[in-house]
Amino acid sequence: MVRKILSRLAQYGFTLLAASFLLFTLTEFSPGTVASKILGPYALENQVALLNAQLGLDEPLLHRYVDWLQTLVGLSPNLLPEAAPGLGLSDPRGDKYFGNFGYSLMMKEPVLDVLADRIGHTAWLSAWALGLTIPISLLLGTLAGMHAGSSVDRVISTVTVTLTSLPEFVVAVGLLLIFVASLGWLPGTSSLQPGDQWSTGAQLVLPVTVLLIASGAYLTRIVRASVAETMQADYVRTARLKGLSPRRVIWAHVLRNAMIAPITVILLQVNWILTGVVVVEAIFAYPGLGSLMLRAALFGDIFTVQALTMLALSVALITQFLGDVAYAILDPRIRVD
Amino acid sequence: MNRHPYLMPLKKDHDAGKVTRREFLRTATLLGVSSATAYGMIGLVDPVSAADHMPKGGTLRVETTVYDIKSPATATTTADPMIFAQVVEHLTQTGTDNITRPHLLESWEPSADLKTWVLRVRQGVKWHDGRQFTADDVIWNLKRLLSDETGSSVLGLMKPYLLKEVDTGEKDDNGNAVIRHELWAENAIEKTDEMTVTLNLAEPQLAVPEHLYHYPAVMMDPEGGGIFDVDTVGTGAFRLTEMEVGRRAVIEAVDDYWGEGPYLDRVEFIDVGGNAQAIMNALLSGQVDGSFTVQPEFAAPLDARENLQRYEVVTADTAITRMNLNHKPFDDARVRKAFRLALDAPRAAEAAFGPFASPAEHHHVSPVHPEYAELPPMARDVEAAKALLAEAGYPDGVEVELTIQQNPPHHLRSATVMQEMWKDAGITCNINVVPNGQYWDVWTTAPLGTTVWAHRPLGVINLSLAYRSGASWNESAYANETFDELLTKAESFPDPRERSKVMADIQALLQEDGPIIQTYWRKLVTYYDKRVMGFAMHPTSQVFFNKMAIQSA
Repeated sequence: MVRKILSRLAQYGFTLLAASFLLFTLTEFSPGTVASKILGPYALENQVALLNAQLGLDEPLLHRYVDWLQTLVGLSPNLLPEAAPGLGLSDPRGDKYFGNFGYSLMMKEPVLDVLADRIGHTAWLSAWALGLTIPISLLLGTLAGMHAGSSVDRVISTVTVTLTSLPEFVVAVGLLLIFVASLGWLPGTSSLQPGDQWSTGAQLVLPVTVLLIASGAYLTRIVRASVAETMQADYVRTARLKGLSPRRVIWAHVLRNAMIAPITVILLQVNWILTGVVVVEAIFAYPGLGSLMLRAALFGDIFTVQALTMLALSVALITQFLGDVAYAILDPRIRVD
Repeated sequence: MNRHPYLMPLKKDHDAGKVTRREFLRTATLLGVSSATAYGMIGLVDPVSAADHMPKGGTLRVETTVYDIKSPATATTTADPMIFAQVVEHLTQTGTDNITRPHLLESWEPSADLKTWVLRVRQGVKWHDGRQFTADDVIWNLKRLLSDETGSSVLGLMKPYLLKEVDTGEKDDNGNAVIRHELWAENAIEKTDEMTVTLNLAEPQLAVPEHLYHYPAVMMDPEGGGIFDVDTVGTGAFRLTEMEVGRRAVIEAVDDYWGEGPYLDRVEFIDVGGNAQAIMNALLSGQVDGSFTVQPEFAAPLDARENLQRYEVVTADTAITRMNLNHKPFDDARVRKAFRLALDAPRAAEAAFGPFASPAEHHHVSPVHPEYAELPPMARDVEAAKALLAEAGYPDGVEVELTIQQNPPHHLRSATVMQEMWKDAGITCNINVVPNGQYWDVWTTAPLGTTVWAHRPLGVINLSLAYRSGASWNESAYANETFDELLTKAESFPDPRERSKVMADIQALLQEDGPIIQTYWRKLVTYYDKRVMGFAMHPTSQVFFNKMAIQSA
């Protein structure tokens, strides 16, 4: 088992390295240069050329990738502060440290600082969204799956199918129209500004509700299908026939076996909510990683986009690893294989 | 002080009703007369000096994108100075009435040939650390803004009359000559005395005061090296006390500001990500007291709110669909005119903006400009457009790609309207929507693209920046000697009526031969809570927070 885990970790390390090269190469094809992003559209060609030269952007791709990697792992310094002293760039960690993604071109601050501010907010939103989504979906999905074909199942299935088919922005705008524009019960943005007249709790209600609807409806459908299928299994029928109580049948036999498919979906939702809630964060002005990704991509802030992409990849690998471990715990056959 | 020779004829014309009050005020202040004196010459009181008693104290919360502004010299949007210009100020200030007044200057005085400008620094202005603001500060800032290393767009703006190009003899990687800029003469920016700077120009320039209000041209403390940050020393009514890019910024009032106000204790700038929906949401739920601008699509729900007041201003803010002459088929003037003739500009403006725009006439001079000349309407004529295309060698029409920015969404609406109208003349237009940042990489090279041009107080400013042969921001590669000569002539007339006569020729030339298609002038719209006092919508969305106050709830 330990060897298996170590082998997986080595694979993940290689994946990260390969992905970083692909990412670096892809961002090469993004329009403009670092210098043109810094100086803006109205700078003259010779002003841009001057800064490009100072940044050493005329080296070959592989050379610059190695430079970037060396800066990332802390072996060489970032050139930007020296090349563009007028921007007032400074990094309290010094110019060489592990995890140095450089400076955000949009915010003119170290990328790590830009990310650090946002990660906490996203984690907070995710905790609320997942903390509500997972138990509610498991409860409703199990209830519907246990009573497949009943009126309870039909109501839950109809509602969840309807909600699954609604895009997040439609749900968000609908909720805004009702609770902000018409009733005035809730704040329209969730920017978590100090001194806001609305409490943090009130500001979280709408984004969390949209995420709950977007991911919860889908998860409920998966749980329902998995439980309904498991309820038909021979071992469940045997458990019933040997006189076990319904509660024990559900807990000991149905849920454990029915959870493999939902766990995959739950981990995908964790992945999405932690790194990809772009629409919800933009509409509600929530200061998390999703809205940062949107803004950085639109601006062409390539260093921030690179860091966010590496972060998303790391989260994906971690959730995949957790998934592998969870399968092994739930299904002894996987452990043996 | 010597008064400009044109001043008295101007007053006579005003008294005889030949010049409107606004034209008189604009031109008189441009010629170096203080705003209060100009108002006084026609028996009025300057509204700026007649501010009512304003409530003191309080915090104002305003929505805006909080960009990085460590380097005001390289600011690229009109949202940037909303924060930094409260702390570090301009030498001049164009007010909400589109009139430019001295600000850190006490006055300016142009020579009759508009080639020498004497700038008198305002007495009694002090930096926040108590040091006197002097001519040396002005010279340090102007020279810094005009250096290649600083990377400011001020360089492109003032290059024609203050700088010259110098070939370094070096070649870049593409084999192009490496060009640097230097002042065109040693005395181009000259210190006359401790409180006077003289600009000696290479060629006449009318719009020097307006150029000094170009948004990056703020006066920074030389001791700070041109970096703007928390507690930066400025001359303004506020100090920056908090700055979190992309989230919020806070400015707080200083005690001994030299000018009017400030009445507010504090202004908080709230960034909601620039999303138009989020801006409306924040206004609806009272999370902000006002906004930088609001997209007209969201006007209806905001109009329905009793506590909100709508502010709007007719501007020379527009988007120009420019044809680049380095690409076929736009190298042919007949094709360019055909693209204009195939459009019904008033209908296009109405379809794309409803009541929030007025029609334009394909020449980039707005009715709000003092020198605007009214021409006969350029009516839609599809048959004439087809004939011109055929004459130019395109009897079966042409297929082109129009590159536009993704945001705001009205770019796509406007492009779609043009696309549909062009179809009738055999012009097939494919619309290529790109992220805003990506557009600025191709704005000077794309064959056909729509570029936003901000309001500028005089018509000649935009024409000089965008269409003069070889101009820094000449995105269409337009080069027409007749146009250049006419524009130079127009720029030599301080009198807007004289200038207007030349402008009529320029406007007609652009309609006939020019590189642009222009269907609308945009109104700028925003909302503030009714408790907020002293706000007026500025044609470039600038806000003077020192003149604003808030009534307690």
